[in-house]
Amino acid sequence: MIGEGREIPKEIEVAIGEGRKILYEHEAKSLIARYGIPVTKIALVKSPEEAAQKAKEIGFPVVLKIVSPDVVHKSDVGGVIVNLRSEEEVKRAYDKIIENVRSHKPNAKIEGVLVQEFAPSGVEVIIGLIRDPQFGPTVMFGLGGVFVEIFRDVSFRVAPLSDLDAEEMIKEIKSYKILAGYRGSPPVDIDSLKDALIKVGQIGLDVEEISEMDLNPVIAYPEGIKVVDARIILG
Amino acid sequence: MSRKSHPLDPLFHPKSVVIVGASKTPGKIGHALLTNVLKYGFKGPVYPVNPKYEEIEDLKCYPTVLDIPGEIDLVVVAIPAENVPKVIGEIGAKGGKVAVVISSGFKEVGRDDLEKELLEYGRRYGVRILGPNIFGVAYTPKRLNATFGPTEVREGSIAFITQSGALGIALMGWTIVEKIGLSALISVGNKSDIDDADLLEWLKDDPHTKVVLVYMEGVKDGRKFLKVAREVSKKKPIVVIKAGRTARGMKAVSSHTGSLAGMDSVYSAAFEQAGILRADNVEEAFDWAVLFSTGKVPLGEETVIITNGGGVGVLATDACEVNRIKLLDPPEDLREAFSSYMPPFGSARNPVDITGQATHVEFEGAVESAIKHDSVKNIIVLYCQTAVSDPIKLAEVLVEQNRSTEKPMVASFIGGEEVAEAMEIMREREFPAYPTPERAVKALAAMLRWGRRRKLLDRV
Repeated sequence: MIGEGREIPKEIEVAIGEGRKILYEHEAKSLIARYGIPVTKIALVKSPEEAAQKAKEIGFPVVLKIVSPDVVHKSDVGGVIVNLRSEEEVKRAYDKIIENVRSHKPNAKIEGVLVQEFAPSGVEVIIGLIRDPQFGPTVMFGLGGVFVEIFRDVSFRVAPLSDLDAEEMIKEIKSYKILAGYRGSPPVDIDSLKDALIKVGQIGLDVEEISEMDLNPVIAYPEGIKVVDARIILG
Repeated sequence: MSRKSHPLDPLFHPKSVVIVGASKTPGKIGHALLTNVLKYGFKGPVYPVNPKYEEIEDLKCYPTVLDIPGEIDLVVVAIPAENVPKVIGEIGAKGGKVAVVISSGFKEVGRDDLEKELLEYGRRYGVRILGPNIFGVAYTPKRLNATFGPTEVREGSIAFITQSGALGIALMGWTIVEKIGLSALISVGNKSDIDDADLLEWLKDDPHTKVVLVYMEGVKDGRKFLKVAREVSKKKPIVVIKAGRTARGMKAVSSHTGSLAGMDSVYSAAFEQAGILRADNVEEAFDWAVLFSTGKVPLGEETVIITNGGGVGVLATDACEVNRIKLLDPPEDLREAFSSYMPPFGSARNPVDITGQATHVEFEGAVESAIKHDSVKNIIVLYCQTAVSDPIKLAEVLVEQNRSTEKPMVASFIGGEEVAEAMEIMREREFPAYPTPERAVKALAAMLRWGRRRKLLDRV
């Protein structure tokens, strides 16, 4: 098991040191990746040239996202540009993002830009963690988008999750049929989803500093899953 | 069967009962507590304590706990809240083990300080505390009724733990009218010390308790509760009525997950994980508990419906579908057996319709065929009152058949006054009978859910 004893993960130490309540996306992803949860390839860069270099290493197409403690909803300030297919496009996008953020929020502190592998489409799900006042760390699962937003079609289990708990919480949601494959689309990798749910519960038990976590979206494929965005909030 | 001694033993089988704040005045709580203990027939010594009296109800009354000549273990305390902590100290000094603190005026009115003091005295003097702010405790196998509710609690095998006092007392009266038997009745109130988990742990090994019913508004230590509940569920079912929503408090939530976790979805999930059956309301909870109180355990899924009315048969079939009860396709030999108890226009398929011509004799034959056949695991009997049949005779037959088999049986009787009488006979003799087919089906469904979950808990 990765969460050895009560060692505070380094990402959290850094955030606390800087007085932040929310981990940067790359910090959140590196923390969950250590638990073996698959995340998109990422790199934090500080210049257009560095961005282009990392994009080449990661492989095109890529996505660029602003990293700033003052920007919560990145898309709203033009802080996200997707589907970048060349080094040139990446360099231009880097400058554009900085410009967008500066014009929307002139005083925002900018840490850099995240270069991220572009994840192919699949079924979008959300995996969450909360610390329930009575039951402690509790894992949530649901299908992304309208299913969560409108229908609140989600399920919960208190950590630690057994294999059975993870299986039941996936099958319990009303939109399960979409995961199981319908109208000729193949079923998604339920075992990988189960594994991620169990690991998120374990993170909740190991890392008391985390009060809430959203892995949203997580893209589920016929084989494997990938966390595209991750948000960790400290208590 | 021998069991190890448990710190809560004195709460259920005390050697003696002390009532601090016993009163001579009818209508006072201190009077009701004493007379209930005496009238319900507790076998050991009863010691009233009140400096105002020499004797109450022909018993010598003592000025303080310390003046009692004999040994004490269970002490019921009904005096003003301010004085309770000091009395806990005296109880401990005298060797008392458990205090049932009836008194109100603690945390529930904002006196957290006084409740803390109460707990500190309990810890220091080795006295476990039930309450405060409760109506008492009853344990029928030992003829103990140390409550200020009704006196004549029916003996049975349902243990009922309640956080609400008023509702608890009301339900206590209601169980008497409904002929529902209880093994234990425990008012937990503020749960300052003894909580649901402690009580579940004791009830798990209580041979007189077949099912535990809990009315709760909130759980004190969720993780401890789940851990104990999971162990208990393997052995006997827990039915919970959970009122109110989670106390998420005013803490702002900043994640998606946080905003979706409102209401009581986390409670439902936690209960599911621990094998707890969550009932929507009091009626449903007792419906289920009545079936569980037979002590039967599910043997399998395949169920037959035996009815003298086509309409109720269809209603029950629909309810089975909704509640995931599997209706058996009766094999040929069983269909033949059923056919011999019905006219040619009856139906030996499931639901088995022995028609409106059926008397208790045909019911008995059809039910007996189902009991004897291995393919049948559960039996639902539906009866509509007809001029040719006698519901009371049928009730007596079913009671006997239910006792003769390990297969779970439920029934629904619909009709007039005689049916009401028949239902009463069945309830008194622990036959789970209900006024509608849906309620009978839902009770059976709850039992089967517990059976499935129990197997899974053993695996985990």
